[in-house]
Amino acid sequence: MLLGIDVGGTHTDAVLIDEQKGIISKFKVKTYKNNLLDTVITALKEVTSGFDVKQITNVNLSTTLSTNAIVENRLEKTALFISSGPGINPSNFCIGKNTYIINGSIDHRGNEVAALDTDYISKALSECKNEGIKVFAAATKFSTRNNTHENEIAEAIGDRADYVTMGHELSSQLSFPRRAATAYYNSAVWRIYNSFIDAIIGGLKNIGITAPVNILKADGGTMPLAVSRKIPVESILSGPAASIMGIIALSSIKDDSVILDIGGTTTDIAIFAAGSPLIDKEGTSLDGIPTLVRSLQNRSIGIGGDSVIKIIDGEITVGPEREGPCMADGGNEPALVDALNYRGIIKYMDTARSSEGISALAKKSKLSPDDLAEKAVNFSIRKIRDEINRILDEINRKPVYTIHEMVHGHKIIPKKMYLIGGPARALSMVMSDGIEILVPENYDVANAIGAALARTTFETELFSDTGKGKMIIPNIGIEEQVSRKYSLEEAEADARRYTREFLEKSGYRIKDTDITIIESSSFRMINDYHASGNDLRVKCQVKPGVVMHLHK
Amino acid sequence: MIKAANRLGLVFFPAYDWAISPTHPEREERLLYTQDQLREEGIFDIKGITELKPDIATETDIMRSHFCFPDVSSVTTESHLISAGGALRAARAVMDGEVDRAFALVRPPGHHSMKCVHGNRGFCNINNEAIMIEYIREHYKTRRIAIVDTDCHHGDGTQDIFWHDPDVLFISLHQDGRTLYPGSGHLREMGGPNARGRTINIPLPPYTSEDGFIYTIDEMVLPILEDFKPEIIINSAGQDNHYTDPITNMNFTAHGYALLNEKLKPHIAVLEGGYSIQGALPYVNLGIVLAMAGLDYSHIKEPDYDTNYSPQDEEITDYIKQLKKPVLDNYFNPRPDMERAPEGEFTLRHKNIYYDTDGIQEDQREYIMTCKNCRGLLYIESSSSVNPPCVGIDIPVNGCARCTKEGYKLFDKAVKQGNFRTVQMTDRVNKKYERHSR
Ligand SMILES: [Zn+2]
Ligand SMILES: [Zn+2]
Repeated sequence: MLLGIDVGGTHTDAVLIDEQKGIISKFKVKTYKNNLLDTVITALKEVTSGFDVKQITNVNLSTTLSTNAIVENRLEKTALFISSGPGINPSNFCIGKNTYIINGSIDHRGNEVAALDTDYISKALSECKNEGIKVFAAATKFSTRNNTHENEIAEAIGDRADYVTMGHELSSQLSFPRRAATAYYNSAVWRIYNSFIDAIIGGLKNIGITAPVNILKADGGTMPLAVSRKIPVESILSGPAASIMGIIALSSIKDDSVILDIGGTTTDIAIFAAGSPLIDKEGTSLDGIPTLVRSLQNRSIGIGGDSVIKIIDGEITVGPEREGPCMADGGNEPALVDALNYRGIIKYMDTARSSEGISALAKKSKLSPDDLAEKAVNFSIRKIRDEINRILDEINRKPVYTIHEMVHGHKIIPKKMYLIGGPARALSMVMSDGIEILVPENYDVANAIGAALARTTFETELFSDTGKGKMIIPNIGIEEQVSRKYSLEEAEADARRYTREFLEKSGYRIKDTDITIIESSSFRMINDYHASGNDLRVKCQVKPGVVMHLHK
Repeated sequence: MIKAANRLGLVFFPAYDWAISPTHPEREERLLYTQDQLREEGIFDIKGITELKPDIATETDIMRSHFCFPDVSSVTTESHLISAGGALRAARAVMDGEVDRAFALVRPPGHHSMKCVHGNRGFCNINNEAIMIEYIREHYKTRRIAIVDTDCHHGDGTQDIFWHDPDVLFISLHQDGRTLYPGSGHLREMGGPNARGRTINIPLPPYTSEDGFIYTIDEMVLPILEDFKPEIIINSAGQDNHYTDPITNMNFTAHGYALLNEKLKPHIAVLEGGYSIQGALPYVNLGIVLAMAGLDYSHIKEPDYDTNYSPQDEEITDYIKQLKKPVLDNYFNPRPDMERAPEGEFTLRHKNIYYDTDGIQEDQREYIMTCKNCRGLLYIESSSSVNPPCVGIDIPVNGCARCTKEGYKLFDKAVKQGNFRTVQMTDRVNKKYERHSR
């Protein structure tokens, strides 16, 4: 049996899935924001009650803990050491009060241009000591090409730290500002995350669950619990990804498609290209801060079941605000669900209260209640549709860098739309515009299903300058000497091999075939008309996917 | 998070799968390290900076600026259409108000491509800036345009295309033609008979440094621009004046390029040459991007700046100071063209053009009408080592009725005569572009 839990902002969902029988138990509870641990333990107990917990072979957990800590600024005081060399003024990248800008520079080829100012590091460290700082982050420019400066900083910090995050360990991606921010937040949530995990392990033990635990990431994949302890920042924004993975498990998606997860306050929109979810290559943004955390592309707009209906300049609008629950659920202002109730599209809770609210609001306008409800529903649908078109437009206009892609590039034209979330069934009945609309079964717990069934994901990038005889894979700590003849084929084989070895060592369970090369390039470098070796770059990943499908 | 003072559109198209030849400077990885630097700096995360995908220029876009012999597809590949399309996208973004400024970081370059195209000259087949300018004039109300070419090589192609056009001011700063390809760009080259003083050449001595370039901008370029009052300013942003460039002899810097750009305030910049792809381009491009976005670029410095850059000699400073007067005179008091034909008649110019990359020799007879009502009908007969005689006819933007009528008369005559391989009509008045091939 596989257990999945998704701790969301408003609800926590849990499912228990039997490999043969499918979903055998599901449980939904309101999330107690101030006690996530209790929420998780309750969900665990309830969803497994009546089942033999010894039969559980895997537990996957998606939690908003790190997200909340960052968004609500409940962060541990963290010192950030950055070194940037020439470029944008590094003072732009200070976070918190303890950012130290250290002189030193590494260029885009990974050459050291200027050594680190070690005197300044010592001075900064004594200041940190006086302020009682115990967690640190180090990020230097081009550390993914040469990590010596980050290593030197970490060494200098030594054991005065409970934890040091080094930027190059988080991602092979270029982007110094994202590296600095991601490293900082990783250290700043490190302690709160780890104590939460300790408590979860205790809770699982009490219930008798001994299966391995994995944590869900924003890219729709999992990481082993032990790994997540070092990179807790990777657990941010996993909720939307869980829902998307749930849809994959519940439907067999093969075409270009749109996925809508319609919740209480927002609708999340994701796009699939030829059946695969699109990944935000640069990394996701949290609270407006770009990070290196890989994520499934996903956009949220302020339209959901509880979005309030308003009259603005005689026009009927819905959202983006939520003024408590809809009237059918005891609220005071009519919301989208009330309009759907009034139109008879759904029968949700107290329909009389919905009618009351819609009629009262209609009186304030010159519309009949029926017209008002219809306009509210149409407004919501139009809003969602406009946003879908905007996203598709952005995706299809995304820059490419080769003539081949310019000329033969694939354009995404969705053929199907999948709806999940509370008001999904209702909206599916009114959202018709030539596109096939599907509402998978069990859509109300798609997020927990996605959590339960998500597989491992991982990404590495190998970089080699054969002129210098060097090959590195920054985020898994590989650095090797190679010959001048080192070829792209060898680089691809190495990228696969080292990635597999690293994953096995770290407790990931994968097959060799799970690792795919997604980008691979070789540039002949010329100095003064003479060949000076090759610039090789190989990116490989373990793609997001599910361990089993639930649809027939 | 950093916010740009000016909204900037970046059309980045490195053409990673295209090279002139395997060891040619114009090869696949030319912009690879620039992209690495821009991505590592987080340029694309800056609020107000948007990355734009190039358009693909159409045959019409190219025929508006060029006479391609025997036809467009024979002298262009997809790479050229995308590079020119990158400039078009940049122009659209600015003209439509999507952004305040735009920088087309595209390759291959274009500023050595002239009005007639038989092949590749100086790494260029078609002229990205010229195609962009004619696109702007066809689709928007903008008429007065200035191009400042800061590539180390003389922008002889752009000069040729706008030679007869008084509405387009072309200013080229370059290493003196006596010391570098293509050998032209002397002070005396100052525009055709109907557009005297609208071509301004500033040949700078080898080893000109930051001071020399900035002096040239402050004392020559800016006063001229202030008088000309262009509606938009375009910068042909070649980067081969850099002190590390392998094929030139100048002594300019990334910081200098950024400062130059800040002073010039171009609405659109288009990358031209620049072949120090590791030591210069990442820093120069970063400098230009930050300057165009109105951001602080003071922290940009090449890794070898302290050891390999030195300010210019006093001799060079003095030489450049002496250029000021003749340069300003060329614009403010241009000598009239003594050979200019009387009203209603053509002035003839003979031209021999060598295409270094493709080894083509071209012979041209170019006729420009002296007209009191428009900038004059253009008629060119051109033959080359790869093409038998061809004809190009250009009825200019706002061309008068007489020039239009005369243009079609010449077109019919050339077609009827039957001995021309290609006859191209570029009718900017009626926006009609046709080609008759035999
Ligand atoms: Zn040049
Ligand atoms: Zn005329």
